[in-house]
Amino acid sequence: MKKSHRGRNKSAGRTKRSGGKRELNKERTKERILEGALQLFREKGLEHTTTKEISKKAGIAEGTLFNYFKTKEDLALYFFQKETDDLIQWFRGEARLQKAPLAEKLFAIIHRQLEYIEPYEDFIGAVFYRSLQPSSMLSPLSFESQEFRLRYLRFIREILADAEKKGEIPPVGALGAYAVGLFYMGIVTHWLHDTSRGKQKTLALLDRALSLGTNVLKKGGWEW
Amino acid sequence: MVKDPTRSSFRRAARLAQLGAGLAGSYLAHQLQRPFIDEARAKDRRQTLHLKNAKRVRRELQELRGPIMKVGQALSMQTHFLAPEMIEELSALQMHAPAMHPSLMRAQFKSALGKYPEEVFRSFEPEPFAAASLGQVHWAVTKGGESVAVKIQYPAMREAIESDFRALRAAGFVALLSGHLRQSVVNEAERGILEEIDYLREAKNIEFFGKALAPLKFVRVPKVYPELSSDRVLTMSRVRGSRLLDFLKTDPSQELRDKLGTALTRLFFYQLFCVQALHSDPHPGNYLLNADGTIGLVDFGCVKYLKPEVPRCYAQFWSREWAHDPKLYAEIIRVVFGPRVSPQEPRVRRCMNGIRQFYDEFHPLDRTSEALELADSRFMDELAKLASILVKNKFLSPEFLFLSRTESGMCNLLHTLKARVRTTQIAREWMPALRRPKTPGHS
Repeated sequence: MKKSHRGRNKSAGRTKRSGGKRELNKERTKERILEGALQLFREKGLEHTTTKEISKKAGIAEGTLFNYFKTKEDLALYFFQKETDDLIQWFRGEARLQKAPLAEKLFAIIHRQLEYIEPYEDFIGAVFYRSLQPSSMLSPLSFESQEFRLRYLRFIREILADAEKKGEIPPVGALGAYAVGLFYMGIVTHWLHDTSRGKQKTLALLDRALSLGTNVLKKGGWEW
Repeated sequence: MVKDPTRSSFRRAARLAQLGAGLAGSYLAHQLQRPFIDEARAKDRRQTLHLKNAKRVRRELQELRGPIMKVGQALSMQTHFLAPEMIEELSALQMHAPAMHPSLMRAQFKSALGKYPEEVFRSFEPEPFAAASLGQVHWAVTKGGESVAVKIQYPAMREAIESDFRALRAAGFVALLSGHLRQSVVNEAERGILEEIDYLREAKNIEFFGKALAPLKFVRVPKVYPELSSDRVLTMSRVRGSRLLDFLKTDPSQELRDKLGTALTRLFFYQLFCVQALHSDPHPGNYLLNADGTIGLVDFGCVKYLKPEVPRCYAQFWSREWAHDPKLYAEIIRVVFGPRVSPQEPRVRRCMNGIRQFYDEFHPLDRTSEALELADSRFMDELAKLASILVKNKFLSPEFLFLSRTESGMCNLLHTLKARVRTTQIAREWMPALRRPKTPGHS
């Protein structure tokens, strides 16, 4: 992982961040590996997919695979980094959403995240629980995951600051962004267990919870 | 007939109906229970414990919000089992499904059909043009260039209703509601609501009515797009026409009013006698009127398929032959009022005499070419009074309750339209008991 490299590049899309041609090739190989691996996870499940199959799918030697990703967790981390990039880039391109009320913005953002992970439900389910172990690379406390988590928090903070400026909600500070992040994790847990058709219960929960949350904040915090 | 006629409650209901206020979807109870309640009598009972209970139930239901209100409404239709005070309180409940913002609407659409609206339509209006039964309706244009209406339901309504019913049962509301409300009634109410929110069933209703009403050339029923529909999304062809109030703004001629009034009346009797099923949501917004005399009929969420004895008995009502035929009289009482009502009871006699007077005055069999002036408020008042007696005495069986609701909704519509209609002549066309068989068709 080239952390130092990424740190300097703030929240810009990762694809624009390519250094030299070698970097670009490396990035492309990583993407190819991820794509193939996700497809395999989908077909065979996380546990039953071997590194041999992943490298074969990506058209590289099994040994080379380890130069890019040491473990499946490593791969998952890369997946979430890509997801964060995709999310931020997508949101900036949605002109109508910029003007929408806060509850709708947050709904659209979280829904977009769910949509991104939706094809890989088994994979997400498996890594989601691993991330609860403090020793895991995916844990919210791990060094490796800080970079994309911070990027996500800053992004959410920006949206909340905008709502504060418009008078939609009172100042909530950094805590607001953490709350949204935690809320997202709760929603993913619900989503993973949601057996309703098209996971519509999660949609209803997401909508209700966000409108309740923003309404409570509008009334000036919890002292309503 | 009742002494002390009070008109205000009916007026209020009529006004409500005109405004189309609070009548979104098929919340029949709200629109039609109101006129059935005699306000003056209700006032007298304000102090009773019963009413206090009723208010408590309503308050509790209201605090729960959401689909639970629909439960209250469904229960309010069980006039056989509930006290009038309870019906009054319950029918005051209104259902609001929360509005969906465009992001949620799109997400729900995709959850139901696997794709976003803009992927399957040529164009799609993100803002809804109307509220629907626990959802909303959007205009769109298909890839083939056809204008359609797309009805989208709020997510997880079925689950919400099921869980509301679980809560209702657990909380002992059932006992509280009347003290003698049976579990089977609650189950029936739940089944009814779940049926009504299933758009696949509504699609079937539309197909059924599309075929059944085809002989009536002046009626337009939408076409369903099955590939763009599911249990939560319903895509239908757009039916032309204006809602009653918008239509009246165009200042239509008396001739046109009469023509449309006649068409609406024919539509009602044809459904009752030839189709034996009723589009039983007489919300004025469900009838789209056109200057060429055609009517668009929309929203088939609330449809009642009738047992054959229902139209038969209704026809016998009209024939008035029962007045001289004790056997027929007893049969009517059994079918219309239910087996628990004895034909010999004085209140039953009084009620039947009231019905006869009403029919003799407004639907005279000897002057069939005479048109009924529906603008006449006396007709509406008498109709409301009659309905009020029937409901208060718990006379109507659930099927007839549906029928009388549809009928008074229709009369309301015709009243606002100020139409003159030869009702008896039209009824005669298809009514078996009036013995003048005629084939349907021609407007």
